[in-house]
Amino acid sequence: MFKWKKRGRIFIPQEIKNISWLKSFAQAPAVLLFDDFVRVYFSCRPDPDENGQYVSYSAYVDLNRKNLFEIINIAKEPIFKLGSRGTFDEFGTYPTSIIRKGNDVMAYYAGWTRCESVPFNVAIGAGISKNNGESFEKIGHGGPILSYSINEPFVLSGPKIRQYNDTYYLFYIAGSKWIANDGKPEPVYKIRMAHSSDGLNWIKADKDLIESKLGEDEAQASPDVFFHNNKYHMFFCYRYGLDFRGKEKGYRIGYASSDDMINWTRDDSKAGIDVSEEGWDSEMISYPHVFELDGKIYMMYLGNQVGKEGFGLAELEGELK
Amino acid sequence: MKWKKLGRIFNPVDHILANKCVEFAQSPQTLVFDDFVRIYFSTRETDPKNGKFLSHISFVDMTKDFTKILSISKNTVIKLGELGTFDEHGIFPINIVRDKDKVLAYTCGWSRRVSVSVETSTGYAVSNDNGLTFTKVGHGPVLTSSPNEPFLVGDSFVQIYGNIYHMWYIFGTRWVDTTDEGAARTYKIGHATSVDGINWKKEEGKQIISDVLNADECQALPTVVFHNNKYHMFFCFREATGFRKDKNRGYRIGYAYSDDLVNWVRDDANVGIQFSEEGWDSDMMCYPHVFKCDDKVYLLYNGNEFGRYGFGIAVLEE
Repeated sequence: MFKWKKRGRIFIPQEIKNISWLKSFAQAPAVLLFDDFVRVYFSCRPDPDENGQYVSYSAYVDLNRKNLFEIINIAKEPIFKLGSRGTFDEFGTYPTSIIRKGNDVMAYYAGWTRCESVPFNVAIGAGISKNNGESFEKIGHGGPILSYSINEPFVLSGPKIRQYNDTYYLFYIAGSKWIANDGKPEPVYKIRMAHSSDGLNWIKADKDLIESKLGEDEAQASPDVFFHNNKYHMFFCYRYGLDFRGKEKGYRIGYASSDDMINWTRDDSKAGIDVSEEGWDSEMISYPHVFELDGKIYMMYLGNQVGKEGFGLAELEGELK
Repeated sequence: MKWKKLGRIFNPVDHILANKCVEFAQSPQTLVFDDFVRIYFSTRETDPKNGKFLSHISFVDMTKDFTKILSISKNTVIKLGELGTFDEHGIFPINIVRDKDKVLAYTCGWSRRVSVSVETSTGYAVSNDNGLTFTKVGHGPVLTSSPNEPFLVGDSFVQIYGNIYHMWYIFGTRWVDTTDEGAARTYKIGHATSVDGINWKKEEGKQIISDVLNADECQALPTVVFHNNKYHMFFCFREATGFRKDKNRGYRIGYAYSDDLVNWVRDDANVGIQFSEEGWDSDMMCYPHVFKCDDKVYLLYNGNEFGRYGFGIAVLEE
């Protein structure tokens, strides 16, 4: 079992004043390292509209590389605009994953639209930044770079972009069914992947990577892959199909490992991090993101209400192998 | 080119249709047998939940001179999709392809949206009973949105030339805000190829048929036939707005030809078929389907009100 030492919450959106599009939520942290600071991308929301519905934006906060608890800068604007009418990302861009490509920075994000019979659908878009990730120009004319297919019928979300041996890998989730739930449909989704030589044209593996342990309706998210000690490690989160907004059936962090990224062995007993006795992450923990910084391995993750009140940091004690 | 109209051959109000459908027999498309022709079409049920339409596929079997109806489908030909899927709220149209000993279907699935009325994608299904019923492969589409084709992929029509599957289809380019008609969509004709009929390579946002009206011209339902050493495409086109009521802005049939399946020359002057002076196809002509049957070339199409009162047929004279 790995051992993560919780260091506490590092970003609380409610403490940020005077930004209308950042009122609550700081979801799905993902880092981009600079010499002096760590840029952490996250997704946030303005206040809901008169119908109680949210849109989501992606933005970033810069943390002092020597002290991740010190905020030195916050994005002036969201990194993407919402899509125009009828496009896949008209109502939200969440979550976002980031990678350097030469002098540019690429972002892969999930775009949200609203549907009639179910509340939403999601597909994956991409953007490119020429200014160190401060803002991104979307690829294409309003469409997604990864969309639905025969065995991935809806809700393609949670992209995590990686590059190993000159090949790009996109880990993401795909919906497998909507549970009708007496008129309040909830999606079930599983972890999938695709690979690409250019980061734009993708070949799907077309299989679920991680076996379900809570039954067929287990929902899995945030497939965060980290290569270390000659092995691919995946931290992800999972929850029950219904009644998951409380502690009992809410998100927990799971773990799997692989030698080839196609065949994964799930072993949640090794994850080494769970909900706290009390406090901001006492009901659920989710959306893990693992990264190495100056010789240490860290995990950022969300607490209660899937990051409504920010994200925190844990530090690995011992080895990841 | 010159078509001889043989008149309306099917009016849905004269028949009892499966799935509680009434009116509409849209986008007729054929499967030709030795001694009859099966004509699939999309018809409509009123959704009991909200009074909106659900499009279902039915078919009518006709004699090969199209003068007599042999039978009408009594059962569901292909099921609509499950909750949240791309074809939950309708299948319209369906394109049928004989592929050696198999019968394939490419569907246009409809699902409703909130900020706009609808989204569509192309589905794939297979029949093991000569087209009486079709079973979908998976719950998702085979062709859908992509970076330069952001929405409204549909109206697929497939032909196999050599060992290559060719698909002509439409993709949305814009949702235009209008004051009195809500969000109006514009779409253009594109082309994709495949070696297996399932995995498709798009030309990715390339409009293959030029506009004659303006940049917001809507082009729909391409249908292609190889005849006299040339590829001929028929389609319908209209203005982006005002097309429901104003016959000058509504659907009519366009034409283009190609020698190589790459470059298409639009030549509406040669389409060879126009509105009638009066009657069922005097205000609108749309959803053409061109096919060969016993060495003749036929054109099925819908008339006024997008095929609310059925479809007719014309035969190529020259």
